[in-house]
Amino acid sequence: MSRSILITGANGALGLAIAEHFLTKEESCRVFLGVRERRERAQELAAQFPDRAELIALEVTSPEAWKSALSEIASKGVPLGVLINNAGFHDDALLANMTQNQWSRVLDANLNAVFHGCQAVLPVMMRERQGRIVNIASLSALHSPAGQTNYAAAKAGVIGLTQSLAKEAARMGITVNAVCPGYIEGGLPADWTPEHLKTLKMQLPMRRFAKPAEVAAAVFFLASHEASYITGSTLKIDGGML
Amino acid sequence: MPIRQRLKVLLISELMLDMKEDDIGDDTPLFGPAGIGLDSVDALQLVVMIEKNFGYKMADQEQAKRVLHSVKTIVEALEKQPTA
Repeated sequence: MSRSILITGANGALGLAIAEHFLTKEESCRVFLGVRERRERAQELAAQFPDRAELIALEVTSPEAWKSALSEIASKGVPLGVLINNAGFHDDALLANMTQNQWSRVLDANLNAVFHGCQAVLPVMMRERQGRIVNIASLSALHSPAGQTNYAAAKAGVIGLTQSLAKEAARMGITVNAVCPGYIEGGLPADWTPEHLKTLKMQLPMRRFAKPAEVAAAVFFLASHEASYITGSTLKIDGGML
Repeated sequence: MPIRQRLKVLLISELMLDMKEDDIGDDTPLFGPAGIGLDSVDALQLVVMIEKNFGYKMADQEQAKRVLHSVKTIVEALEKQPTA
């Protein structure tokens, strides 16, 4: 049966890889690439699958934007079956120096946005009595590095939300899971020097960063029919880092 | 199929209850230990199920609490709703 897939933050390395994975591995699906800005790369991908992929304007921190996006998806006639809450960003600082704005913006984009997204899609999935929600958390939620109190708290919150919502939605045929990627190629801060990247790799058991497609494959599995008895889980994808 | 019976069939199938239609008395409270023992998640599902199958929309939580007390109260509410 055909289903629609909504991926937020579909203009970054991971969001694009997830979208591409669905488009190539599930031929009957229709993919909506949720983006707010920097649309170019998402547009390029959508152009490769003109009948099955399209961009959708989505400011994930706005409940009204979610409502409008879901209304647009519903108008296309293929029921929404999968939500991938992938959008997010970090803005690091030691807590002693962190501004209220840094704290609030990171919590808003990484945690509140997941709340808005889940709340928006739940009635649709409940009516269909099936659905898959995959929340992209982070390894930072599990090992909480210095300088990321805001990001680590937000992503740990995403894991808590995932586990709690999984219990609420289980009987409705809806699964809710989280993944915690470690370092991903293409998703690293631009100001990290080659020397710093080299040092980081040396600290990893696999001595390499994840390819976006490796994380996308796990997300795809959690959204598949085969994963029907997996819910409330947190899957770390970190090359053995933790 | 009469509404009462259809409702019981839906209750069992949608809420995955391990019981038969005859096990659900018309006046048996749906929630709490003295009744069938449904919980708040079931309540949410019931609201969606009733709207989807009977076109009856709960106005607020107070109304839902009143209507969802038992099979009898749900049937009464459904029978009172104006037909389109």
